[in-house]
This record gives sequence, structure tokens and C-alpha cells, in this order.
Amino acid sequence: MTPAGTLAPAAATTLTPAATLPLIVATPLLGAAFLVAAGRRMPRRAAETAGTVFAAATAVLALSVLLRGTSGDVPGARAVEWLGGRHPHGGAGVGIVLVGDRIGVGLAAVTSLLVVAVLAYSWRYFDEPPHRQAGTFPALVLIFQAGMCGFALTGDLFNAFVFFELMGVVAYALTGYRVEEKRAVQGALTFGVVNSLGGYATLLGVGLLYGRTGELGFAQIGARLAAHPTGSSGGGPDFLVLTAFVLVLTGLLVKAAAVPFHFWLPDAHAVAPTPVCMLLSGVMVELGVYGTARVYWTIFAGPGGIPTADAHRLLLTLGTLTAVVGALMCWQQRHLKRLLAFSTVAHTGLFLVGLAVMTPEGTGGTALYVLAHAGVKAALFAAMGILLDRFRSVDEHELHGRGRELPLVGVVCAVGGLALAGLPPFGTGLGKAVTEEAAGGWQAALFVVVSAVTGGAVLRAVARVFLGLGVRPEAAGQAEARTDETSGKDEEPETAGPLSRIPDTMLAVPVVLLAGALAVGVVPGLHAAVGRAADAFLDRAGYTAAVLHTPPAASVPTPGPHWSAAGVALGLLSAALACLLARWAVRHTGPTRQTRWAAPVRRLHSGHIGDYVAFILAGMALVAALLLPSVH
Amino acid sequence: MSRRIRTWVLLLGGLGVAVLLFAASLDLPEFGGDRHPYGARAVEAALARHTANVVAAVNFDQRAFDTLGEESILFCAALGTVVLLRQTRDEHRVRPEPARVDPPVRRYALVALPVTLLIGLYVVAHGQLSPGGGFQGGVVVATALHLLYIAVDYRALERIRPVGLYATADAAGEAAYLLLGAAGLVAGTAYLANFLPYGTFGTLASGGVVPLLNASVGVEVASGVVVLLASFLDQAVEIEDATEHTASGPARHPTLPPPSEEKPT
Repeated sequence: MTPAGTLAPAAATTLTPAATLPLIVATPLLGAAFLVAAGRRMPRRAAETAGTVFAAATAVLALSVLLRGTSGDVPGARAVEWLGGRHPHGGAGVGIVLVGDRIGVGLAAVTSLLVVAVLAYSWRYFDEPPHRQAGTFPALVLIFQAGMCGFALTGDLFNAFVFFELMGVVAYALTGYRVEEKRAVQGALTFGVVNSLGGYATLLGVGLLYGRTGELGFAQIGARLAAHPTGSSGGGPDFLVLTAFVLVLTGLLVKAAAVPFHFWLPDAHAVAPTPVCMLLSGVMVELGVYGTARVYWTIFAGPGGIPTADAHRLLLTLGTLTAVVGALMCWQQRHLKRLLAFSTVAHTGLFLVGLAVMTPEGTGGTALYVLAHAGVKAALFAAMGILLDRFRSVDEHELHGRGRELPLVGVVCAVGGLALAGLPPFGTGLGKAVTEEAAGGWQAALFVVVSAVTGGAVLRAVARVFLGLGVRPEAAGQAEARTDETSGKDEEPETAGPLSRIPDTMLAVPVVLLAGALAVGVVPGLHAAVGRAADAFLDRAGYTAAVLHTPPAASVPTPGPHWSAAGVALGLLSAALACLLARWAVRHTGPTRQTRWAAPVRRLHSGHIGDYVAFILAGMALVAALLLPSVH
Repeated sequence: MSRRIRTWVLLLGGLGVAVLLFAASLDLPEFGGDRHPYGARAVEAALARHTANVVAAVNFDQRAFDTLGEESILFCAALGTVVLLRQTRDEHRVRPEPARVDPPVRRYALVALPVTLLIGLYVVAHGQLSPGGGFQGGVVVATALHLLYIAVDYRALERIRPVGLYATADAAGEAAYLLLGAAGLVAGTAYLANFLPYGTFGTLASGGVVPLLNASVGVEVASGVVVLLASFLDQAVEIEDATEHTASGPARHPTLPPPSEEKPT
């Protein structure tokens, strides 16, 4: 492709997939502007409908690019759009590029679909919106959508930082939305402080890379690093590149909630309005994982960057630590939203372990896992939201047996718990199976155990809340008010008073989301597409060639993710293990019993922002230490 | 964690990061070197489109999409602040009392107000020519309006500051930027592409679409900052807890003389 003439007029008679990419970001922003301007004079119903229409239009745009633009004959076809028509000349340019490969556009599509689900879920949600601000909540959600889509599509490091910040700012506001509650304000503040610190680190890293290369695009920085591999001895990074990698990663790992950068997540997720939790846990955290992988594979994977072995060691260590701590903490929660929050931490760890395989198989499996996890986790949060609004509580003990009157919600939770544990044929099961197979060895065991523990924790709660199994908390002579535990009692419902009847939309949304997670596991066409997407994602040369308009190198396609007998068996094993754990917990442990040996880990999650900041610094030092052997 | 452990974790982590940053700084290019790959290209690209202020060319032309994101961050921050600082059910509004202002302060602020406003508008309008632009000028304009609070009192400020109107203008500025970008797609080559003649170098109408994008950011920033400050000021001046109200009474300025002394204009 030749660089387009700067003034080729009226080229946009048809909307090409590439030209559509910026509209995926602009459409929700325009919707937000419309809702702010007109929302003051609109009834609530109209404002919410308008918000849903804009979100759905964005989803259609993203899906159209996914179906048209990235399915060309060329393996790993990418829609590449230089904003403002500022194409590079001779590999050097001044513009910003959006790169719609399958993973990026796919994430934008999933995000948009989840936003539609969330807006539908919140139709009957919240007591009356703030005075004359009916459009505010949908407007904030639309800005959130724009930030996440922009982050998924951009091919420019500084632009990624801008969207990282946009996601952050809107997420803090949404987390603290119920300002009447002190806990919500506290959680939002922690979230804001910790994420902003991560953002500053990322910006510093961007500055270092710019100082070295004079470039800001992923592909351009990568190309410069590869062209001048640190002066003296080729191969690994020097201290500047290593430091830049650590700094850029810090912000992304905070977003991804990798241990020890994860402390903000349970505090924010426990207090954020349930529809917001669906977005935070469903896609935003996963975008941090995506950003980590994207930055590594486009910038640092080449000569002069971080060698594969060192990146593997880093991701595997962080992933394992995150998975274990997440699972351990998840099992010990009785606050149900906090339980789900820690299960997100655990699964983030598994995603990082999946990426640490460093092959298309591992990445493809992780992509499927993320996709299905978004549906399952959002469905579970939606179900918890119903409990909260019906009973004013998300406390597993207080709700003992009270869920019997909501059998359908119980079924959703049970199915969600099994899907979380990786039961075939859910997409989570397939993603887990493929990643397990790619990782092999003890890591496969880690996948089985961690997914079983998180799924088992949900099933345990289902058994107690919806079936009334096990000892009643009062009968056990429970000592009230432990100091190091968040109970989830006495929560304010997020609707106007406790619900007497559950609105259809609030029930339909989790059911549809679970069906989506099931579809991820059983639609073969999707699996092939994810396989090709993963090939393209790891193909640094192909990415650079597509962005800088140089001839692409031929790439060898790897087979897409598919079910195998071993995968199905391990999935069934995890699900069975989850059931056994839940059964054991309900039968043999009273509600008051807490595992004493895990208390130190529990106490680290103190809610003290100072602790969290100290751990971020320690985490940065840890990441650097893990990468140190790579330095020349 | 105890204070002691926290301090140790912080110190050790901070030490590690400090060592890392120090080592990295040794590998940085020399200060004041003459190799500026992006700078050289950016200046060339700005002059090619008759934009005298290269920073404006970077902000509103070469990397206009970054500016869209940044503008949206401010838009979202204003919106989020309105939500977070809203009047909740257990709070109520107290009409602010007129306040007495020392005559010299009052005279100074009333003189400074129109001058500041003019400078703000100038800085916005000349963004494509000289240092400044929509972001900087917008903040100056918003500051100018708030001089009325210093010159007179909060009621006077409220009279020229209907928050609803400014929130709408905020949204209009954001929408104008988005729609100008779309116009680039329809009339030009790509989203946010230039579709206007470049004009004569050094005049107000130079730089193609840059002045328009700059102006929409100016509108957005000026109104966004007004909305942002309004939320904070309302919270500080007008909104009170029910308990606080019954305990201390409605008077916010107990040391000030009664309202009749000063008539707000």
C-alpha cells in the first residue's frame, strides 16, 4: 500500500473497516455528550433508552469490523487506520494509528456487548437519579465504553495511556456513585489513588522510551529498539529499556490487579454499584492483562527488548502468585461481592500464566478464557445485585436459606459457579483446557485447583443461601463482628427500597450472559477465529509491517483452540472438585470457622492506602528483580 | 500492617525503584543533544500546513486523537464531580449570605475581571499562532468569571453561572470536536483529517481545521472548569448536613456584619 496522498478527496464514500475504527471510540463519546446536554430535560426512561442505543450502535460497528475487516484472505489481516490521514513516510510519521486486529476489535466488541447488557440490567436500577441528571449514569457508562474500546484499538503507547486514564477517571466516579455510603467513597478513593500512581509510572516509562527512540507508536518503538539494540552488545535490554518496561507494566498490572498490585480491586468491587462491577470485573481488569501482552509483543519482544525467557519467568511468577493469593482470599470471603472480586484476582493470575506460555496456543486459550469469563463473572455479579436489592445484604451467613424464594437466581449462581470452575462445554472450560494443555506440568494442576476453589466458593454460597444447607449461623453460636472480616451485612440496596419483585431485565441479563459464555465454548467458527487472532497477536513482524506499510513476512498458522479428551476430563475434574469443596465446607465447617494459617494474608488486605502504595513500590522492585538477569 | 512493617516495605521498594531509575538515567541521551527525531518531523509537518504554533499542530492535527481523549477526561471529570458532590438526601441547601468585601479588593477584582476574560479569549483564539490554546485559554476564561465571587459574593457569581447552561456548553464543546472529526471522514480522508484550506501562514484563519478544534476545546474547557468549580463551591458554601444546620444555624459567616450593609450588584 502506498502512503495515501494527503488530499485524496472524498475517499470515504464507503466506510471501510479501517475507517470505522475511530467511530467505535467516537460514537459512545457522542452519546455521552448528547445525554449530558439533553439529559436535563429528559425523563429517565428516554435517557436510558438513548444510552442503550448509542452503546448498541457501537457494538454493531465493532462487530462489523470484526466480521468484515479482519477476516480477509491474509492470515492475521489487520485494519490499520492512521488518524487524520497522517500516514508514515519511510517508516517515520507524526500521527496516531489504530490497529484493529482480531484480539483488539474482539475486545472492543465484547466490551460493547457487555455495556449494552449492563445498561439493560440497570433499567430498573438505582433509586431516583440525581436531580435533573437522568442521563448522568448512562453517560458515564458510555464514556467508560469509549475509554475501554480506545485502549483496545490503539496502536500508540501514549494514546494507550490517554485511554488508560480515561478508563480510570470514569471508573472512580462510577465506583463512588452511591456517595451516601462511606464505604463507596473510601473504595473509590483507594481505587483512584492506587490507579493514578500506576498511571504515573506508565507515563514515566513512556517518557523513557520516547527519550531513547523518539517514537510513540508500538510498532515504531519496537522497530527502533530492534534497529539499534543498545549500542555495545546486541540482544537483551540495557537498564533504560528494562526500567521503561517495568514502569509501563506497573500501570497495566495495577489495572490487571496482579499481586501485589491488586489491593484496590476487592475494596472497589465490594462497594461499586453492581452494574459497574460487571464492567470492572468483566472487561476492565482483563484489559490490563491485554495491555501487558500487547505492549510486550509489539514493543519489547524483538531484539533490544526483553528476551522471551525473561518475560516468561516474570509472567509465570506474577501469575502464579496472583492465582494462589486470589483463590485463597476468595475462599475465605462471606461478603459475596468481595468473594467474586477475589475470584477475578485469581482468574487474572490464570490469564497471566496462560500468557506466560508465550505461544499462540497459550494466548488463544487465554483469549477464549477471558471472553467466557466476562460473561460468567458479569452474570454472577448481576445475580448478587438481585440479592442485595431484595434482602439488603450480600452476607453469605445472614442470607442463609433466604434465597429459597428466588430459585431462578439460585440456578444462575449455581451454573455460574460451575462455569467458573471450568465445566465443559462452557467457554471458560475450553479456554482453561486449551491453556492448561499449552502450559502443561504443574501449571495445569494450578489451573484445576484455582478454578475449582473459586467455583467451589460460589457453589458453597449457593448451597447456604439458596438451599439452606449446613448449620444456621445463629445455631452455631456465632461470635459476631470479627475485626478482620468484611461481612456484607446492612448494605444499602441500590434500588429505590428493597425490591419486592425482581424486574425481568435484571433476571434476563445474567441468563443471556451465561448463554453467551456457553456459546463461546460450543461455536467452532469462533474457535478457529480465535486461533488466527492469537497467531496475529504474537506476530511482531506482521504487526510492524501492517502499521508501517512494509512487506509482511509469511507466517505459519497454528491450529485454533479445540476440545480434547484430556481437556474435557480436566474440566469435569475441576467442576467435581468445586462441588466437593462446597459440600465439605457446608458440612464440616461452621460459618464462624476461619482458616487460621491464612490470617496473615487476610490482614494484608487492610484497606489502608499507605499499605497498598508500599506494596506497589515493592512490586515494581520485584518485577525489576525478576527481569534483571536479562540485562546486558 | 503495622506502621513499622509498612515503612520497611516502602523503604525497600522505594530503594529498588530508585536504583532502577538511577541506572536508567545513565542510559538516557545526553541533555541538550541535537537529535530530535519526532521534533524535527513535527515542525516540518506543522509548517507544511501553515500552523505557526507547532504545539497546536501536534495537539489538534498530528495527534488530535490524543487531545480527544484528554478533552474527554476533563469532560468526564466534570461529570463525575457533579455526581459525587451532588446534594444527597440527608443534605439541604442554604442560601448563601451576602458578604462584605473590602473596597480595594472589590475594585481590583472588578477591573481584573474583564481584562482576564479578554486575555482568556485571546489565548483561545490565537492558539494556532502563539503559545496557548483552548486548554490554557479556557482555564483563564473560567477563572475570570470567578473573580466575581471575590469582587462581590457567591450570589452574584451564581447569577452569571447557570450550571445547567455551562454543562450543556461543556457537552457541546465535546460534541463539536467529535463532529469535526467525523467531518474529516466525510469530506476528507480519515477521521480528524483536515478538510479546510490551510490559509495564510501567521493569520488567525491559518492551519486548516486546527482553529476550529482548538475553539471547541476552549468552549469545553471553560465550561467544564466552571461546572467543576461550581460543584466544589456549592458543596463548600451551600450544601449542609441536616445536623450541622440545626447545630450551628444557617449563618455561614458569623463574623460578618448583617446582610443589609452590602448590596450585591
